[in-house]
Amino acid sequence: MRLKRFSALSLVLLSLCLLAVGAPPAQAAAKKVRVAFVLLESINDQGWTTAHHDGIEYMKKQLGDKVEVSFTENALSPADAERVIRNYARQGYDLVFGTTFTHMEPMFKVAGEFPQVKFMHCSGFKTRPNMGTYMVRIEQGEYLAGYLAGLMGYRNVGTVATQPIPEVVRGINAFTLGLVRGLTESKTSFDAGKVNTIVWLKSWRDAVNETTLAEVLAAKKHDLIRQMADTADSSKAACMKGVAAVGYGTDAAKYGASCALTSTTFVWGPVYAGIVNRVIAGTWKNDELFTGFEGGGVGLAPFGKAVPKAVAGKVLALKARMAKGEDMSFAGPIADQAGVLRVKKGDKASDKELLSMRWFVKGVSGSLPE
Amino acid sequence: MLPSPDWESLALLGQIAVKSSTAVLLAAYGEIVAERSGVLNLGLEGMLLLGALAGFAVGAATGDPAAALGAAAGAGALGALAHGIFVLSLGAEQVLSGLALSLLGAGLTGVLGRDLLGAPGLVLPSVPLPVLADVPVLGPALCNQPVLTYLALLLGPLLWWALGRTRWGLLVRACGENASAAYASGVPVRLVRYGCTCFGGALAGLGGAFLSLSYTPGWKEGLSAGQGWIAIAMVVFAAWRPLRALWGGLFFGLLTALQFTWQAEGAQWLPLWVLRAAPYLLTLLVLALAQTSAALRRRSGPPADLGRFFRPGG
Repeated sequence: MRLKRFSALSLVLLSLCLLAVGAPPAQAAAKKVRVAFVLLESINDQGWTTAHHDGIEYMKKQLGDKVEVSFTENALSPADAERVIRNYARQGYDLVFGTTFTHMEPMFKVAGEFPQVKFMHCSGFKTRPNMGTYMVRIEQGEYLAGYLAGLMGYRNVGTVATQPIPEVVRGINAFTLGLVRGLTESKTSFDAGKVNTIVWLKSWRDAVNETTLAEVLAAKKHDLIRQMADTADSSKAACMKGVAAVGYGTDAAKYGASCALTSTTFVWGPVYAGIVNRVIAGTWKNDELFTGFEGGGVGLAPFGKAVPKAVAGKVLALKARMAKGEDMSFAGPIADQAGVLRVKKGDKASDKELLSMRWFVKGVSGSLPE
Repeated sequence: MLPSPDWESLALLGQIAVKSSTAVLLAAYGEIVAERSGVLNLGLEGMLLLGALAGFAVGAATGDPAAALGAAAGAGALGALAHGIFVLSLGAEQVLSGLALSLLGAGLTGVLGRDLLGAPGLVLPSVPLPVLADVPVLGPALCNQPVLTYLALLLGPLLWWALGRTRWGLLVRACGENASAAYASGVPVRLVRYGCTCFGGALAGLGGAFLSLSYTPGWKEGLSAGQGWIAIAMVVFAAWRPLRALWGGLFFGLLTALQFTWQAEGAQWLPLWVLRAAPYLLTLLVLALAQTSAALRRRSGPPADLGRFFRPGG
């Protein structure tokens, strides 16, 4: 009797187990790739996170019902990010994106715990067999924006810089190199040691101080304000003071800086579509992706009214060359602020140098704060 | 000491110093009045944000400066009223309730303001006063500013007079120094404290509106970026006196302005972190100094009944 009951129970249990094991493959046939994004701030932040969200929307449009996408906003601290990343991994997502530098350590940790989940981290340098990285060559856009400003004769630029990390340093340098090229081509006389003055916000966004710094730079007779913060406030302040501006990250003109000549923009859509496509096709690897105009990862916002046709033509011609894979943004000869040759003629700065850049090119006035 | 003492640089320095102290000043005045009546409200940061969002939202919707400023003051006062109900009627711990108000303000405005991020809206520009604005250095600094900055400059002497020289001020101070005695002599202590708390909230709300309508027009999450906390430090620094708050606020503003102009000129007279930490370091210094003697403590210490719950007849 007891034995009978026991065997009946085992039978039930066994069939339950079979059901459980049998179910996933049956689902997998029609299964969508589940993708999750961990975002730094609100998707309406007008800057970094808005650009990522635009990329997510683009990717969803491209891949339609092949993907199921979720995202979590405002994962600022590493501790928050770790919780969110682990939750997604636990819920069986196939691919989790971490979209800012501070997500690197938590993602690296969680990726070690969930080897079956794929992870992609933006702007970092740590990888695992199931964790790759991606970043875009924003410096290509910077170089073109600087070139545009130089062609228009702006020779005393003031830059409201954010945090002293390689990404920002690289951007400032590329902008300055492009600026010097433009000034040289337009035969404008300029002070070779000081075409771009840097002031530090020491923050990614700080509307009050962005505005103040831009106003001070404008009052100190700088002829163009280079915005580098996430939001367009320094560009807006420049416009209010009647000084030209160049935006960063997203199109500053869309957010009230009508005087912006252009903005360098992050274009994450093609990057995201590419990565997810590789997961669908089963060809995903833990790549370290680093794409510029050739991969559609960066862009220049539509030029402002003040930009002459001839200037626009020259900039677009250079952009077309970059889109074909020719990257002259860090082509030698490049000297640093002290005049020491850092990149020889005929050479190019390597990706390793770019990703760890801690020095300014000649023409930049200002220093890296500790 | 100054980088390049030409008139233009000085004028710029002065203008930025005055402008960047406006929100701190308004919030600090409000806090002084509240604290002199005996109510500690650490919710300034939250009320600044509530005012900033309400002012911006109503300004964008109506285009009417008066309505925008009214909404900002109302939102700040409402936040303060909530604090008042908790600490004055329910006897909650004032420090905790104030901190909660700060957190609530930050969270609530973050959620409510989502759709307004990046939206265009009303701008309250600088209004140059005729003739006066052309006076070298002082003109641009004091007479070519947004309306709320003028208010911040005028409120210092006004509150000094009102708190120290009027019957109304005496009532307020009586509530803050010895609530039981004030009540015994017929002062409606709770009512006065409610009024002062809400007045403080309204001023903080206006400070917030200054940020979102004049300083950097537009709504952003966490726009006040710690100015509410500086205002609280300012109250201590100024030893609960409105005029000293005015000088202190302008001095803090000058420190802010210096770090910008020095950077822009490529001059490094002091490490930047020194200038940034200065308001807090100076406040600590003043606090420490005030403790050195009983006489100093009496003259520059907090109101005796600050933060104490008062139950009539209890």
